[in-house]
Amino acid sequence: MISKINTATLTGLESDIVTVETCLTNQLPGISITGLASQTIQESRERVRVAIAASGFKFPNKKVTINLAPAWSRKEGSHFDLPMAIGILAASGEMKEQQYADYAFIGELSLDGSINPVAGALPLVIGLRDVGMKKIILPKGNAEEASIVRDVTLYAADSLKQSIGLLQGAESTPYKSCTEYRYGSPDGINGLYEDVVGQESAKRAITIGVAGGHGLFMMGFPGSGKTMLAQRIPSIMPELTYEEMLEATKVYSVAGELSNKRPMITQRPFRTPHHTISAAALLGGGGIPKPGEISLAHHGVLFLDEFPEFSRQVLEMLRQPLEERKINIARAAHKVTFPSNIMLVAASNPCKCGFYGDDRHQCTCTPAQLNHYRSKISGPILDRIDLQIEIPPVRYKELLEEDGIPGKSSASMREAVNKARKLQRERYINEGISLNSELNAAQLRKYCPLDTYCKALLREGIEKLGLSARAFSKVVKVARTIADIDEAASIRTQHIAEAMRYRSLDKYYRNF
Amino acid sequence: MSRPIEELTGRIYTVTPLEEEYPTLLRQIKDPPEILYYIGDISLASRICVSAVGSRKATPYGKWAAFSIGEKLGQNGVVAVSGMAQGIDSFVHKGSLKVKGKTIAVLGNGPDICFPSGNMELMKRIADEGLILSEYAPGVRPTKFTFPLRNRIISGLSVATIVVEAGLHSGSLITAERASEQGREVYAIPGNINNIFAIGGNKLIKDGASPLIVLDDILDDIGLERKAGNQTNAVLGKDESAILEFIKTSGEVTCDEICRTLSRHPGEVSGIVTVLEMKGFVYTALGKIFVAK
Repeated sequence: MISKINTATLTGLESDIVTVETCLTNQLPGISITGLASQTIQESRERVRVAIAASGFKFPNKKVTINLAPAWSRKEGSHFDLPMAIGILAASGEMKEQQYADYAFIGELSLDGSINPVAGALPLVIGLRDVGMKKIILPKGNAEEASIVRDVTLYAADSLKQSIGLLQGAESTPYKSCTEYRYGSPDGINGLYEDVVGQESAKRAITIGVAGGHGLFMMGFPGSGKTMLAQRIPSIMPELTYEEMLEATKVYSVAGELSNKRPMITQRPFRTPHHTISAAALLGGGGIPKPGEISLAHHGVLFLDEFPEFSRQVLEMLRQPLEERKINIARAAHKVTFPSNIMLVAASNPCKCGFYGDDRHQCTCTPAQLNHYRSKISGPILDRIDLQIEIPPVRYKELLEEDGIPGKSSASMREAVNKARKLQRERYINEGISLNSELNAAQLRKYCPLDTYCKALLREGIEKLGLSARAFSKVVKVARTIADIDEAASIRTQHIAEAMRYRSLDKYYRNF
Repeated sequence: MSRPIEELTGRIYTVTPLEEEYPTLLRQIKDPPEILYYIGDISLASRICVSAVGSRKATPYGKWAAFSIGEKLGQNGVVAVSGMAQGIDSFVHKGSLKVKGKTIAVLGNGPDICFPSGNMELMKRIADEGLILSEYAPGVRPTKFTFPLRNRIISGLSVATIVVEAGLHSGSLITAERASEQGREVYAIPGNINNIFAIGGNKLIKDGASPLIVLDDILDDIGLERKAGNQTNAVLGKDESAILEFIKTSGEVTCDEICRTLSRHPGEVSGIVTVLEMKGFVYTALGKIFVAK
């Protein structure tokens, strides 16, 4: 007798339905698995055999042949354990076909018959729903993350025995999410801007960056507050929409980064990889490609502290995913695409020791070190970053605290961001983009016309302030965002003038 | 590092004290070089020269001061002399070249060797428009000992030496010492007492050097009439004047301090500072704003 059980396989973030076909024949007892199953799946024959016995069922004393159809696609993951066990029990007559045909199964088995959570449950569930599956049995540990998916009924199973019971008609209730969508709730957010003393100009630049989706580069002496400023960026970003939440949670699910404590991504991610990170860890990779930091920061912030300390090769590889907002990873067996729609925030000291140009400390770098450090920053990656600001040290912190003028709060900054984003969405409704930073050359001409005063100012600025010619379009885009924050219909000279202030590195490397 | 530059090797000439072209003021010091190797216009070394030197690592303020001294000397037809080292020295040369002034680089190595190598472009410009001078034969590499020796030539060529920024053990102090031994004027730019780059200059002032308070002073002292220079009469708006006034009274401020004191919006201040910088009234570096005039 042959049984057919529904499950799915994962390639990157995409999942396809897989049918586990099981056949029992009168030959020497044993299990063989076909259908390009990976090492993990090959090993599952042992887990399945022991788990079936441990759950109180009889493992058939026959030759078991399992085929994972379609047989041509490579399959990976421990979540095939449960469908294979169900398949064997179904083939040996434990259940009737109508009892399991409507269900799909995901889950890894323990030797004692309990079901362990797996990586990638969310995209698997989405894939199964998309091909029309209505009922899914999955590990209890994955139920919460998958409960975000609409139009599907989930059953959380603890053990193989329980899931068989469920199929045989034992009483069971579909899983209900216990997470309210916690929009805007403060957990997971690393503090608010109210806590930052001084640095109002930097906060202004950050507001602009978030409003227009512009990348941000901060240079400043050690201790000037760069990390503090960066950490608080998610607190002023617009709340995740349902679609965004789904996409972000999918990435974390595939990466195996979800847990009971954090079953879904309800806040904008903030990722701070260490500067010793490898290319594969940053961009994604591995024999079976897993998402890297750039994808884990999808819809959030990727913060590269000590930017020049990153390997040059790694930084250069950021360029394409930044531009395309997704990353294609090709390996011998797999070709996958992960999303990477991020706000890039980088921070750097002025030099290796951190005190170049400080009049209170002696810089101990050699000229060669200085050149090396700078050559890293001035590389082409900076061209992808629209805003470059310098963070002066707050020298008189106590004084600032004493006079008690409150700094701008996260709430008011977020309000400005939301207003500006709304204007952009409305303006670009027919262009397929939603932020000023995404404007291409033609769109820039169409949506950001400059009057003669602005043009003159821009030309003079490029000449007098030593801005690079490439800065031109970036200044206009940033000026557009500033105008949106001011709710001005067209770009005016004060917007251009302010935008030019945020090209400080151009000048730093040209003149001083 | 420091391989001879072929395109310069063919342009090297020599001059000895026996020849008329030998720099006039340099003859008067007690140990003039017996031979000078040079590239460029040797007659510059006999014109009125003022040297400006300082540390290799400098603050943005020091670099600005060096650049402005270079410009000021260039605009008034004075030859700016320095050592083409990184930091202050380079900015003296750059300032002079920017206003099409004349400048002399005195090297501590052969005249066909660029040290530091990052100054290649600057060196070529000086060779074309000014003068490269050295007592070392072509191909001689720089060592720890050659730089202090060349300092006597820098001060020896000049009627006055300005120390822009110097730490306590800076080579610039050696130049100042040589200058005073040679009976030349020594100026130092005074600085904040908590600025480690100003200690050397402030100490010089304590020891009797003249503090350089206004750049024009030096022209008055050597008896030159000030040229009109770059008196731009840029018109400032009301907001611009208010902010410029504040920057002038504070000396060195950040955008935030302007916002707090004048109760203005950071975006507005950023824009106005950009315009002031374009008009040449202020300059900014590492988040700080300085007065430029």
